[in-house]
Amino acid sequence: MNQADLSKLVSALRIAVKPKPRRFSCPEGPAGRLEKLRATVTALVKYERIELNHPRAEEAQGYAERLISDAIRNGDCHKHTMEMADYWLNEKQLVHKLFKVLAPRYQNYNSSFTRLVLGPKTYPGYYVGTAILELKGNPFPALQPETHNYHYWLHNVLLEEAKKEFRSARQDRNAGTTESVTAES
Amino acid sequence: MAGTRFQLLSTFSRQFSSLNNVTTVQPKIRIDEIRGRRLSIFDKEHKRQQDLIPRLEKIEVTYEGLNDEKTTLVMNKGVSTPYNCAQHINEQLLKRSVVAEVNGEIWDMHRAIPADCTLKLLHMKPEDPHQATLVNKAFWRSCSFLLGAIVESAFQDEISVCLHSFPPANVRSGSFVYDVQLNLNDWVPSQNDLRQIAASFQKFVRQDHIFQRLDVDSSVALKMFEDNAFKAEQIPHIATKSSTGRSVTVYRVGDHIDISRGPMIASSSLVGRCSIAAIHKLNSKLYRFQGVALPSEIHINHFAFSVLESRARKLNPARTPELKSN
Repeated sequence: MNQADLSKLVSALRIAVKPKPRRFSCPEGPAGRLEKLRATVTALVKYERIELNHPRAEEAQGYAERLISDAIRNGDCHKHTMEMADYWLNEKQLVHKLFKVLAPRYQNYNSSFTRLVLGPKTYPGYYVGTAILELKGNPFPALQPETHNYHYWLHNVLLEEAKKEFRSARQDRNAGTTESVTAES
Repeated sequence: MAGTRFQLLSTFSRQFSSLNNVTTVQPKIRIDEIRGRRLSIFDKEHKRQQDLIPRLEKIEVTYEGLNDEKTTLVMNKGVSTPYNCAQHINEQLLKRSVVAEVNGEIWDMHRAIPADCTLKLLHMKPEDPHQATLVNKAFWRSCSFLLGAIVESAFQDEISVCLHSFPPANVRSGSFVYDVQLNLNDWVPSQNDLRQIAASFQKFVRQDHIFQRLDVDSSVALKMFEDNAFKAEQIPHIATKSSTGRSVTVYRVGDHIDISRGPMIASSSLVGRCSIAAIHKLNSKLYRFQGVALPSEIHINHFAFSVLESRARKLNPARTPELKSN
């Protein structure tokens, strides 16, 4: 009962986080894994859209999300946040970008800050395939076409009318049954 | 697989199961002959109108595409159609466009452009709600038209089929309609009959017939439809309502010709999934054929389509025609 509200300590990420971290095969052990992820997070902040193997992209996405949400939450005067930014970003000019460009950009976002899209697969090739990881609000053209489904398209007009008719029929039925019940009583 | 099934169905499509009680009275003129005669009149009139243009003049058509990008095309006056303009632009437009908008007026894809204009090509998934209602109406009207074409040729020769008319397109009613007079008493169509008509509808639509438009004089129209008492009766009314007071617009799809004010869709292949939902008896010998169809561009799952089908089975509330010639 006396447990602290977790979302006040750590900001809740808007992506699905896997319960266990992936262990990449690297001779340097966990330190080497972090080294790889640092390189990816740095590249993501620098280029805003990168193409890489899917497991690594998915793993790095969580770290990038956490870094940005901390930067928004605590600002650049917070000691721990600044240390984290210093750790995760290998190129130090990117620390400025994180606090002065990305934090204001994502201030009012209700969704995640990054987007992970499955990339093309080469056949025959490595079965997991590639992925494209990008920061939202980047200046590049969109990866996927915008899909619309307007209510005034033919099938939606037909379905809407069918729905109306169904509802009115149900209402009539309900009214009929209540009337018969009252008549009986 | 689907192809073979269609073939099988179509071989049976002219023999309906529940028509055994029909009494043959007199040998009727076969529908193919009537159609052949109408077509020859249509072709002759079309040729006559084309010959009225002494020499080709050029017009400038400004096509307004995506993001208001403008393209100017030099086309032939009174000959080139929006379809020809699309041929110069790109193939997707050619296949996708349902109707055109010429100077803000809705225009058939296969209707000649008379003067300099701005042109827009509309498809079945427009961004603008006003355009969507126009396009949907054109589609629904064309489906009624096609239904007429199918019904006219679907029955055996001894059953006389006389197309009456179809009411103005109303998408919200849930079904497109054609009212037809059949000399059958108390015909109750079975589920199989409906399926066979739907199959021949689908087969006809897949043949990719264009909707050809022709404005003809009312006398020519009367000659065309002299076999059909209802149409002959309607033609003078339609002619007086037209701008010149004498012209009637007819459309041709494949070998079927019918009267309609239009506009129609560009080609029958723009119709995708379809189903003949019900045939209701209105009054003596007049039957209302009802169906529902979707454009080939729009796909919905089978459950949603079954919802539309079950709604289309109810009698369409459109006005029932009154029969005078009985």
